[in-house]
Amino acid sequence: MPPLRTSGMRQSRGAPTRHSGRVRLPLQMEAPSTAGVGTIARPNVGPLAGLPSESAKVRDPVLEVDRLGYAYSPDRFAIRDLSFEVGRGEVFGLLGRNGAGKTTTVRVLTTLLPPTEGTASLFGKDLHLCGRTERARIGVVLQAESLDFVSVERNLTLYGFLWGVPREVAKSRAEEMLTLFELNEVRQRKPWGLSGGERRRFQVARELMHEMELLFLDEPTVGLDALTRKRILEYLAGRARKGLSIVFTTHILQEADLLCHRIGVLQGGRLRASGPPAEVKRRYRGPRTVEAGFERPLTELERTDLLALLAREGQKFRVVTFDASVLTFQAGNAEDLVAAISRWASPRDLDVDRISVREATLEEAFVNLVSDDRPADVGPRSEFA
Amino acid sequence: MRLPPVLRLVVRNFEANLDPITLLVMFGQPAFLIVILGTMFSGLISSVGSSGSYIAFLVPGMIASQMITGAVLCGRVFWLDRRWAMVEQIFSGPFLRAEYLAALLITALLFSLVGVGIMVLVALPLIGVPGLSPSELAVILATIALGSLFFGGLLIAIGGRIRSANLYFTIQSVLQYFLIFVSTVYYPVSAKTPLVLRAIVYANPLTYAANTVRDAFTHSFGPGDLVAGAVLSGLAAVAFVLAVASFNRLELGPVQ
Repeated sequence: MPPLRTSGMRQSRGAPTRHSGRVRLPLQMEAPSTAGVGTIARPNVGPLAGLPSESAKVRDPVLEVDRLGYAYSPDRFAIRDLSFEVGRGEVFGLLGRNGAGKTTTVRVLTTLLPPTEGTASLFGKDLHLCGRTERARIGVVLQAESLDFVSVERNLTLYGFLWGVPREVAKSRAEEMLTLFELNEVRQRKPWGLSGGERRRFQVARELMHEMELLFLDEPTVGLDALTRKRILEYLAGRARKGLSIVFTTHILQEADLLCHRIGVLQGGRLRASGPPAEVKRRYRGPRTVEAGFERPLTELERTDLLALLAREGQKFRVVTFDASVLTFQAGNAEDLVAAISRWASPRDLDVDRISVREATLEEAFVNLVSDDRPADVGPRSEFA
Repeated sequence: MRLPPVLRLVVRNFEANLDPITLLVMFGQPAFLIVILGTMFSGLISSVGSSGSYIAFLVPGMIASQMITGAVLCGRVFWLDRRWAMVEQIFSGPFLRAEYLAALLITALLFSLVGVGIMVLVALPLIGVPGLSPSELAVILATIALGSLFFGGLLIAIGGRIRSANLYFTIQSVLQYFLIFVSTVYYPVSAKTPLVLRAIVYANPLTYAANTVRDAFTHSFGPGDLVAGAVLSGLAAVAFVLAVASFNRLELGPVQ
């Protein structure tokens, strides 16, 4: 049996190892693509960094949500039975399809809407009792654009004034934000005359004019280009490292994967899954893609023989493409499939140039999680023969 | 020094949502009317009651009507705050809803007073210094304050229940012109005025305000002004309750 390593290997694509009569597999584990987002230092100093599972208790929570619900009418719930916690310095991502309840959750947690069931607490105080003091400790970037009819620069300083930020501090912070969010060139323009991306940057910049301990961001990066997104996410990650807690909703799952310590996936107003992104990916990743490249094109007989062997061994897989010398599968258990292919190739004196297993992205896990009607937390859908 | 939240909101109301052109039109139009209407009609109308000249009759009416100007500007701030989601942004910040409401009403009052100041300045060359006593001045200011509270509260109550900008601004315009024209701002009510119209005029709070300010200008306070003050106070209280109720039921979220 050829040696087969399925973890800890990362070899270059262009240097396959061949041994006549044996199969030595340069197994390649491919990380999910982060194209367009760039490499972002994951905030790793918060108390929750590397939290092992969703059941782990959050230390020093700033936000505790317990069976929270909001109903428009007795039979029309927007969100229901939500439970999660956010610790100090933690970035918690709320994911979900359009209408899943993300924005309603943010509106309830920022006291804009009263919960109709369950409880939640901000900084240890029941949400129903939260007032000015607690709201002074949070920041909110709502999904709906909000602006005053003054210049971008004056919007920033005026917002600082509203929050009671001393004039000189507000002035210097406005300069910092204008630079950080690349708004210097439009500082004298009115916000409604800005492009969509500029307006979104302005929204985030304005909210950062005041100090806070917990920041709610409802889709803050909508309409932003990749470079700006990267810059904003890096800034937020930096703030989180300094202790700012963030509740973050987004449809760009790469962002959540890179930025969030933990995520919660909403569907139909309920929390379908929560935990660190890696754990959610592991639990809901569904099939992984295995690509096997042979030294020469396989004959029709060899292909049939390989598939028959895999079927006999009870492998769960689906053939994606079956080119002359490259086979691409989706498999529930990629490691077993790799081993089975190598077992098949070895006695046939057939060199396998390369086998790669591509790790699931959060997007794939998300799609797998929300694209059917399974009850929550039952694991990936099994549809492979 | 950090101002109290209500005052921070008032300062912000004065700056946000109101462009110079809007303010010029809002305050310029009544000033223009004093000059044009007052001058032109004074040539046609020899005297109007105890006021004497038509322009002397018109000026107190235009001063009283500034409570509507202030209320309209306050309603505009509120509606644009709703339209541009600043209500939600403010409500999620370190402010109480009551503070936001109070700030709007104070804004209405201050805009009314600014309007009064402008009208007086415009009228001075035309009618001379009115020579008001401190008590007459106090009554005028109290009337303006009550009127601002009434009209401001009314527009906030309406603005809080409507989710369409078109509808809100249509209602506001109709209400503004109806209240001004069906009152004693431009002309007196006489025995020749049709009974129905007379009833409507006397149901209009602006009539009481205009009459009270006019009586102050002519130094002729009487029992009718006490009734006017009581009516205005009652209506202002009702409008305030309506505004609070509208605020309590305010549906946050997108509006057209």
